[in-house]
Amino acid sequence: MSADSETPASRVPDTPSAFEQYRIPLGLVVLVLFLRPVVSSDLLLGFEAIANRMLIIMLFVAAFNLLFGFTGLLSFGHAMFFGFGVYVPAIVVLNGLGGLAPGGSVTFFAGVALALLSVGVFSYLLALLIVGKGEIYFALLTLAVSQAIYFIALRDPWGLTGGSNGLTRGTLPEFVEQTRGQITIQAFGASVDWYWVVAVVFLLAMSGLWQVVRSPFGRTLIAIRDNEQLARAMGIDTTRYKVWSLTFSGLLSAMAGVLLEINNSGAAIENLGVLTSGDTVLMAVLGGINYFFGPITGAFTWLFVEDFLTDFEVWHIPTTELAIVSVDLGPALQFWQFFLGALFVVVVLTSPEEGIWGYVRTLGAGVKRRLEER
Amino acid sequence: MSDEVTTGRTDRPASVEPETDPQSAALGVENLTRTFGEVVAVDGASLALESGELRAVIGPNGAGKTTLFNCVMGTLDPTAGSVYLDGRDITDAPEQRRPHLGMARSFQSNQLFAEQTVFENVRLVVQTARRGAFSMDLFRSHYDVGRDRAAEIAETVGLGSQLESAAKNLPHGDQRRLGIAMALATDPEVLLLDEPTSGMSPGATTQTAQLIEDIRDDRGLTVVLVEHDMDVVLSVSDRISVLDRGRVIATGPPEEVQGDRTVQDAYLGGMREEL
Amino acid sequence: MSDATPGVVGRTQRRLSALSPATGVGVALAVVLLGNAAVQETGLFIDQAIGGLVYGMILVMVSLGLALVLGLMGVVNFAHGALFMLGGYFTFTVMESYGLPFLGALVVAPLLVGVVGIAMEVVVLRRLYGSNPIIGLLATFGLTLMVEEAARFVWGASGLQPSKPGYLTGGTDLVVTQVGTYRLFTVFVSALSVVAVYYLITNTDFGLSVRAGVQDGEMTEFVGVNLPVRFTAMFFLGSVIAGLGGALRVVEFGVDPGTAEEFVILAFVVVVIGGVGSLFGSVVAGLLVGWAQFLVPVVLSSLAVVTGISALEIQGVGRLIPFLVMIVVLLVRPRGLFGEEGLLE
Repeated sequence: MSADSETPASRVPDTPSAFEQYRIPLGLVVLVLFLRPVVSSDLLLGFEAIANRMLIIMLFVAAFNLLFGFTGLLSFGHAMFFGFGVYVPAIVVLNGLGGLAPGGSVTFFAGVALALLSVGVFSYLLALLIVGKGEIYFALLTLAVSQAIYFIALRDPWGLTGGSNGLTRGTLPEFVEQTRGQITIQAFGASVDWYWVVAVVFLLAMSGLWQVVRSPFGRTLIAIRDNEQLARAMGIDTTRYKVWSLTFSGLLSAMAGVLLEINNSGAAIENLGVLTSGDTVLMAVLGGINYFFGPITGAFTWLFVEDFLTDFEVWHIPTTELAIVSVDLGPALQFWQFFLGALFVVVVLTSPEEGIWGYVRTLGAGVKRRLEER
Repeated sequence: MSDEVTTGRTDRPASVEPETDPQSAALGVENLTRTFGEVVAVDGASLALESGELRAVIGPNGAGKTTLFNCVMGTLDPTAGSVYLDGRDITDAPEQRRPHLGMARSFQSNQLFAEQTVFENVRLVVQTARRGAFSMDLFRSHYDVGRDRAAEIAETVGLGSQLESAAKNLPHGDQRRLGIAMALATDPEVLLLDEPTSGMSPGATTQTAQLIEDIRDDRGLTVVLVEHDMDVVLSVSDRISVLDRGRVIATGPPEEVQGDRTVQDAYLGGMREEL
Repeated sequence: MSDATPGVVGRTQRRLSALSPATGVGVALAVVLLGNAAVQETGLFIDQAIGGLVYGMILVMVSLGLALVLGLMGVVNFAHGALFMLGGYFTFTVMESYGLPFLGALVVAPLLVGVVGIAMEVVVLRRLYGSNPIIGLLATFGLTLMVEEAARFVWGASGLQPSKPGYLTGGTDLVVTQVGTYRLFTVFVSALSVVAVYYLITNTDFGLSVRAGVQDGEMTEFVGVNLPVRFTAMFFLGSVIAGLGGALRVVEFGVDPGTAEEFVILAFVVVVIGGVGSLFGSVVAGLLVGWAQFLVPVVLSSLAVVTGISALEIQGVGRLIPFLVMIVVLLVRPRGLFGEEGLLE
């Protein structure tokens, strides 16, 4: 630090204003407040439960993107971490744990703790083995490991996972109440709408993720993504950073899985499947992997389109006599994945890091410039 | 080393052996060899730099300069031989440890965190130098770490007015300077520069040569300079080592090496005109 | 064909001798375990061995095209499984809707797949040569999704299976056990096509020019080779053989939209085990994976008989095997059995 004593006359760029610095958490709060009213309006999807699922998947895809978008490691098997979060609490609630009775609230939280602990240890050890193997091998190895886990779960070892049927009965703790598809949480004599519980967990986990990304640790991850060779030459232990990035990503994915366990009242084998992993990649890239709000945008678009277009014909059946077009359109739009797949290919071939959110930002910047010119 | 013969032209090599013991030099390389399959890129090279020395390493294309450089920096593992830093054997120290031990490099090709600003490029290295090769620094904002120091270093290399530009948008010459700034940000004792002026205009080359001298004088750094531009080499270096087919064929002060017959043979006469 | 044989044998020997002593121990152990299984349950063992051979040959056929594009052009073509799947669907359609006999379908369907492959190469893959392999993986993954959805649209979501021609339905007696004639037919056709493709790439001017083009594109174009066309031709070849694999499989096991992903993942496993950049490795690894998947359950159950530990008799362990083998191979020897060092690392 010989030069530290020199005169600090040099200009240091201004730090952004508090509003600039905290606009991401603010944006998250706005998202949580408006998501449900907006998607459940009759003009759009018209039902509320989809909002719960959206928040959960957004968290999962954002966790995935910590690894892909912010560290440069493409995992093609992220469903395994997610699935851990779904299965472990479900198994524990169903069977009890040690002296804890099946179905108990304490049992559930013990299950959650066990899920996070096991995912933490598992993803850390897995990362130690595979982060040094090169990008493509990393993708293929995560795919292979998650397939191996999928087939193990499918075999229903010791009758724990329920094989291809998954776990559907007796997997909810007693504080969860379900009436006509609506979930409420009974705690301390009060009854809370499930959406707000999801929202709070979502906000906490996403704020944690945001803090990781903006911390010196997170900036180092971005540097590794941008130029790993340079990062190493500048004294960064890239392997250890990658290992912890995968571990954090695994933990947050498992958090999302825990929420889905309650939301879907149980575990399904598809939660561990290759399609779940693949959809995660698609959503992140569609949304824009370079941005914090990219995965959120991607997950929203994906789930919105899925529901909007799959329900299209159902929605139109009463009006078929009037609107003949919808009859022709319905069956084709059922295959919405074809069109999103095409959009995805275009995004990858043109601007793989920007996605929809990058496009929105560019548009926004353009509009802002126009307004300032006036 | 001052008792080396310094008379003009001579037929015998200026010096083939290291002048001092590499094991106790500021930067020492001892019998370093690196092979790629059948090809021997570096063949038993030895160097010994004194503290504060500015040493140029020159040689024809394919002489093994960059391979030697990469072996010294730990980017490549040497097949045989050792590297010493201030008397310590660092041959087995992984690449990312070396900046923390006091040696840093700039790259021949522009290696930058291209999407980030000039300021963030330097700040990140300052942060790494302060926090170590790995740090679970999760609870602060990156706005709290290393900003003053980063701005100061950028100023030193003359990039003070472009802090907010994206690194990828800088002109070529400024990118090279940013590379030097990042190496400086590790707070090194030994600095290795790989062709810092390649692809620069004559004006920018002179500026960079001046910058290298200034850095050495102000900070008392030991500098290894791999360089093609003979004007730069002759004007800034204390001593020159000539590499040919992976061997150090001569080491000595500029005028002595210039007159060395072995060196002239190595450059096949073409280079003699330039010298 | 016969001139090539000594070359292939010589190269095989050289490649095998390059493997480490630990591999030798592993092979010896495998021989003991297999021998035990063969003695304990001879009939079942031969059944499974032939089943593994059939499956392994199909895997080789899917993997060859993948290995070609990956080794030569550096593109990780996730969409290759979609070509295999289309081979099955096209066979079904030309047989059931157009009444083509099976042998005819076996020619027409792979060629149709080849045409789809050309379209794929020209529209998407060509843009990916030389770019970041991750981008290639993502783009072809999207492509797979599109083909799968299109297949779901055209053929529906449930499985389809054309009827087997009469002359291939029976069994053939092999002393200790009966083997389905169709299985022997599959082995015959696939072995023939794999050898042909392998020969074409390693021993003809065509294969040589493409490989030279990868090394030094400018120079090869300079001496008058039209590289883009040859790359396309190479891709066509890979597509046709994958389509043929799909055609052979559909008659026995049917096809559904999930086939694409199932088989491309297995093909990745095969290519990675065999080693990126080595066609020979893909052939060996394909057979290895096929046999491992079918024989490990027999080995385990006969081991359970010998040792008396019934826990060894794990049901349904077969599908897990390819992934376990791949994980072990990558951790012990990242470049695969016969791969070149440094590729994609």
